[in-house]
This record gives sequence, C-alpha cells and structure tokens, in this order.
Amino acid sequence: MPPGYHGFYLRIDAGTGTATRVPLPEEVVRQYLGGSGLGARLLLDQGSAVSDPLAPEAPIVFAFSPLVGSPLTTSAKFAVVSKSPLTNRINDSLASSGFALAGKRCGCDAIVIVGRAPELSVLVIDDGDVRLEAADDVRGESCPATEEKLRARLGSDYRIASIGPAGERAVRYATISHDGRHAGRGGSGAVLGSKRIKAIAVRGKQYCEFADPKRVTELSRDLSKRSFGPATAKYRELGTATNLLTFNRFGTLPTRNFQSGTFEEAINLSPQELAAQREKTRASCVACTIGCEHIYAVGRTPQSGAGDPHSSPAGVRVEYESLFALGSLCGVGDSDAVLRASQRCDELGIDTISTGGTIAFAMECVERGLLDESWLRFGDGAAMLRAIELIGRREGIGALLGEGSRRAAEQIGRGSLAFAPQVKGLEIPGYEPRALQTMALGFAVGARGADHNRSGAYEVDFSDKVDRRNATLESVRHAIETEDRAALMDSLILCKFLRGVFTDIYAESSAMLRAVTGWDVTADELRATARRIVAAKHQFNVLAGWTLDEDTLPDRFLDRALPNDPAALLTRESLDALIAEYHRQRAELS
Amino acid sequence: MHVEFLGIPRERAGVADLELEAATLGQALALLAARFPDLGEFIAGGSLHPSLAANLNGDEFITDPRRALADSDHLLILSADVGG
Repeated sequence: MPPGYHGFYLRIDAGTGTATRVPLPEEVVRQYLGGSGLGARLLLDQGSAVSDPLAPEAPIVFAFSPLVGSPLTTSAKFAVVSKSPLTNRINDSLASSGFALAGKRCGCDAIVIVGRAPELSVLVIDDGDVRLEAADDVRGESCPATEEKLRARLGSDYRIASIGPAGERAVRYATISHDGRHAGRGGSGAVLGSKRIKAIAVRGKQYCEFADPKRVTELSRDLSKRSFGPATAKYRELGTATNLLTFNRFGTLPTRNFQSGTFEEAINLSPQELAAQREKTRASCVACTIGCEHIYAVGRTPQSGAGDPHSSPAGVRVEYESLFALGSLCGVGDSDAVLRASQRCDELGIDTISTGGTIAFAMECVERGLLDESWLRFGDGAAMLRAIELIGRREGIGALLGEGSRRAAEQIGRGSLAFAPQVKGLEIPGYEPRALQTMALGFAVGARGADHNRSGAYEVDFSDKVDRRNATLESVRHAIETEDRAALMDSLILCKFLRGVFTDIYAESSAMLRAVTGWDVTADELRATARRIVAAKHQFNVLAGWTLDEDTLPDRFLDRALPNDPAALLTRESLDALIAEYHRQRAELS
Repeated sequence: MHVEFLGIPRERAGVADLELEAATLGQALALLAARFPDLGEFIAGGSLHPSLAANLNGDEFITDPRRALADSDHLLILSADVGG
C-alpha cells in the first residue's frame, strides 16, 4: 500500500462489539481515493443498496482519505456514507476536524459499522482495538453535552462523533456531530441511532508516511498562503451568510416555502446586521487556514456579556443554509429566533435545511387548510422553535415532520406533494431553481437528492457562462463539471471553500496526491476518477431502485414563473431536455 | 450609472451604492479601484478577481472590460463564490 494509506478498513459488528481488519487493495484506493469515493465503493462492495437503511445489516461507512493527517490546509475531514433513510438512495455527508485525524490514526482508511448493539452504546476505538461501553449517562443528551461527558469519561485525547436525541429517535434527517460540525444531510444520524450507537470515540497513534515529505511541505505552504488571499475573503470576513442579501437582491432567496424569491426582512439576517446586534467570534476547523466559522452569541449584545461565545451554550455557528432554511423559508425575520433555532438543531442533531424545509412545508399546509395545526404559521419564530422541539422528540406533529417533507406530503395527500420542497426526498437548499436553472438541473439529477454540495451549478448561474433564467443544453456541461469537481474534493478530501484558490484543481490535486502517495497520477487520471465516483453513486442508486422519473423537481417549480420574477420560468419540457442531455453526456463520459 | 455593492465589495467599499461616470466596465472598475483602495485588491487590468462578479441591471453577468455601459445602467459588484 502506498504512503498516505494504511491499506485496511475496520469492519465493526455493533451487535458483538468486535472488529475485523479488512485489506484494501491498492487498485481500489487509487480508483476511489477516499472520503465519498471510497465510501461509495465500500457500500457497493457490502451489497447494501437493497437493504432497509435502518436495518441492522445496513452498513454505515466513515471514510478518511490520503490527505488526512497531512499539513495541507482543510484536509482534516471525513465522509459518512450510507443509504439514506430520508431518500432510500446513497448519502454521503462530510464533516471536519479532529475526528478525521484521530480516526485515521487508528490504523485504518475507513470504518464500516454493521449490526445493532444490544443497548444504546458508545463505540470506542482505541488505536484499532474496539469495545462497546454503556451510554446510559448520555442517553437523550444533546450532541455537545454528549461529547463533553464522554471526553470527561474517556479522556481528552479521544475525538468523539455523536448523535443527539433526534438520532436516537430515528428522525430521518438526524445528523452526526463532531466538534460542532455536522455530517448533516440525509439522515446518517438516524442510521447510527438504528445501530444503537450514541457516539463513536476514537484515538490512535498510527501515522501514515508521505512519499515525498519535503514536497508535501512545499505544497502545503503554498496552498496555505493562497488560502489567505482574495479567493477566500468572503468566508473569512463575512462567512457564507454573505449570500443572503445577494440572493435577496437577485430574487433567488427562497421564501415562505419557495412561494417567493425575496424576503422583506432579509436585512435582519444579514451577517452585518447579526454582528451589529450581538457578540461575534471567528473560528476554524482543525488544520484549516480559512477560518469560515462566524459564531454569534444568542441574546447578548456587543456591550453586554463577556466571555467566549464558542465555549458558551449561547454561541451558535451560523451558515447561509441555516439562515435561509430557518429564516426566509419559514418567513421568520427575528434573528434571535433564527439563531436559537439553528442552535437547537445543532443540539438535537438535525439537519437545518431539512428541518426548515419540512417546517416551511407544514406552514404552507396549515395556510392551505391541509394540516390542523393552526399555531404553525409563517413568520412565527416561537412556533418554529416549538416545531423543532417536537421534531427532536418525535412528539405530536413532530412525529410526522421527523419523516421529512416527502413522506409528510404522502401522508397529508390532497396535492401537497406538488409543493413539498424536495428532490428524491432531500429538502432543497437555498437556491431558487426557477431563477437558477443550471442549479435546477444539478438538484434534479443529484445522486443524494437536491444538493448544493454535490453540485456547484449555482456558480455557473452567477457567471457569464449561461443565462441563469433560460438554461440551454450548454448548461449541462457546466453542471457536470461542478459535479465532478465536488466528487474529487469530497474524496481527496479538501474543503470546497478552497475551490476558488485553484487555477486547475485537477493538476494541483494530482501534484498533492503524487507527493503524498508516490503515485504517478495525472490530472487526466483524476478527471476520470471523479467521473468514476459519480458513476458509483448512480450505480448504487440503480441497484436501490432508482428510475429516471426521480430526476425531476416538484410541480411547483415547473411551468409557472416565480411570482416576483416573470422571467424566471422553467418548463417541464426544458428541464426534461436538460436531464436527458445530462444522462447522455454522463453515459458518453463513462 | 448607478453602482451597487453586495457582500465583500460592500465591506471593502464601505458604502452600499454610488453614482459613477464610466463608458466601459474596465473604466468603471478602474475608477472604483482608485476610489476604494481596499477594493483594489480585487481589481487588476480592468477586470475583477474571479471571486467577484459584475452584473448588469440584475440580468446579465459581464466580464469584458470593453463592455459599453450607459448612464441608465445599474452595475452590481458582488461576491461570486456564492454557496456554502
């Protein structure tokens, strides 16, 4: 096995608390790299596409990568890959920080967990040795409290990934949390919860060597230097929340369950206004030089409380997606309510996009008289917070909403599926598809559903390459390119916030991979690798029962213009043509 | 023409919008770089750094420095790396 890899994955049976070290052939890691790619390959090898994702036999993979443990900025990341209980299709979510480093030091390139523990347990992996410990003292605890208690119990050198109460109760969009970051989308927390694993604690001492350590250092220094430049200024200075006012200005900010593209209270949720009203600190993931995290104190003004919001329960890390989903999408302009909602989602361990999307859908159902929950109204921050608590406990209406918007619509019926904001069951992120039509294609064909992290097609819409409100077949090539780039970055692994730093990401990635592994890898090989990884995800979905009619958008988005923008009209015929061309080009590339 | 800043350009310029006289995109950007030195980091040779974008009247994204602009135009300068 080349440097950068251990050459093994750890296959753990949660039912018995035992582990097997399974060799990983070099050809497999060269073809799928790590992270999402390796996870997809391992899932296919386990034959899990036909399994119920919450059944004991369904595997969940924690995959590291050859760059994890290197000084290359943003490389301390891991992917969680499984069949999604929300979509019944493949799901890969990524998170950052020390868990990736400590997990790889356990002497493995991935951890595959199958089986179901006899009782709620903590899976402890100590330098490759595996045991189950009781989790009674953390049952029902929030993600941050679970990490804190387990570090106190096991020792501060352990790194812990955990689920919150929502994962224990199989909310279909429950997350796996580590160090305040979340493997957020698609319900991997419910999969771990179904195995009665409350948390995974890892520590280890097994380091991988690099083929050319001097070159790795040179490349790392260069990349870090560039990561301080203008390409990442947005993330450092304002964070992803920058998008909110921009999107509102362009009429592409999803509002009140996608009934509009502008929100009259958007200014309240802008990063400038958030910072003016409360204390703010910045932080970074481990081994990251960008520092995109903007952490706001909830309920404290710049003049009132002192202390570090990051270490305080009052501090909440805010991203654009959370602000959109829990703000404009639910019609809530009260920034304190939105920040508290984001914080509660993090504590309960639920995906903010799916939470906001499902609640916004329910609010519209109430508005239309389809759901008898008169308290749940657009614009009511207290009602949104109440709904979040009910989802986390799966009580009352929370039992239905914990299923996600597609399943909720199937139960409510009466035409509500037409405005359930989802593709393949995954709630749509904060990009209005009618006004961003290359992104609309990216959403429709995404292997894990509507997804801004696996398709960066919105970038194309915000460029001179296409007409964002009139996509043509030329848009397809661009959508494929962003999908391929994401597959590469999610498998190497590097943070996508670096993407603007690269002139030719395939050439630069091949240089990094050469220095780490010693492979004579080229840019062209990595292009083929990225396509292979996308194809593996599609292959999993085909085996899981995917059909072409899943690649679409809800009726709401088709054949009717966005109310605030008559030019933003996407016809079903046009979308179908884009999708057909996408599959034609994908087939040609494979 | 009217120039509106969003995202990082607004932070660097310190204003939300202003009026400007320029015949082309390149001229407009050169004037903005001279007027707002903190924004100048993102402007070179009459073009924006790829992390920023210029949009005309909310409709069309433009990059060619020779692109003619009219007095009635509304030029938006914004952070291009949307997403996250």
